[in-house]
Amino acid sequence: MNIGKKFIEQRDASGDDNMIPMINVVFLMLVFFMVAGQIQKSDPIKVQPPVSINEKRAQTDPNVLIVVGVDAVYVNDRLLKIEEIQTALEQTFEHSVDKENFWVQIKADGSVTIDSLKPIFAEIRKSGLTKVSIATQLSRAAQ
Amino acid sequence: MPLNLEQTKRKTGISLTPLIDVVFILLLFFMLTSSFVPWRIVDTPLAIASSPTKDVTPLERVVFTLESNDGYVLFENKTVAIDNQHQMSEWVKQNKDALVVIHAKEGVTLQSLMTLADQLKKLGAAHVSIANAFSSMEPK
Repeated sequence: MNIGKKFIEQRDASGDDNMIPMINVVFLMLVFFMVAGQIQKSDPIKVQPPVSINEKRAQTDPNVLIVVGVDAVYVNDRLLKIEEIQTALEQTFEHSVDKENFWVQIKADGSVTIDSLKPIFAEIRKSGLTKVSIATQLSRAAQ
Repeated sequence: MPLNLEQTKRKTGISLTPLIDVVFILLLFFMLTSSFVPWRIVDTPLAIASSPTKDVTPLERVVFTLESNDGYVLFENKTVAIDNQHQMSEWVKQNKDALVVIHAKEGVTLQSLMTLADQLKKLGAAHVSIANAFSSMEPK
């Protein structure tokens, strides 16, 4: 049949044309992920910070990030013992440029007990730092 | 001299297959590295005991105690569910100008502490301090 022949000819001649709608969709997805997502360094261990209605966002990146899991403490991606935190904080503070705005962020799992956080706070207090914040999230992220 | 007219009809431009390969790689990269977690921070400033502020009169302190993670809070020797809006808002109203200090006993999780702090803030407590919960000293 003439129509069928013409269709087959068209298909063989320009195979790339069928890909254009797909590329449109893929580009749309690419733009969405580029604009809406934030590229972040992944944490040394997976933590689910507590959910809170608190709306405050961090204005700057933290100078020191302490990730507290159920039985491990990472200070700037280094696995440290509780007693070593003070020294690590003091060293980081010494080498920091903007000492006035130096702040520590604690990213602790919601299931971590307050008792296990107390020695970490005691170490921060011993190092003389006062600006400390705890990371929370607005809603429970997908596991 | 024969003219080669067929060449002009040929499509010029980039082929779509390599383009889509690159776009797919970029898409995969952004999909895997993007984070959509709405991160927020709660300030827990550590007070320096040696330098008290003299010009500011200290607020009266009321202590809410979390004994476990069962969703109940102890206040003035009375245990009430954190969700009990009626009783909780009454307490908050009574202590509107006071500094609400949360004290957590052994085994209480960070999530329980945040839930109580959220509830107190929602009910209108102006001064809620969670920093005291992380202090090794007992509240007075």
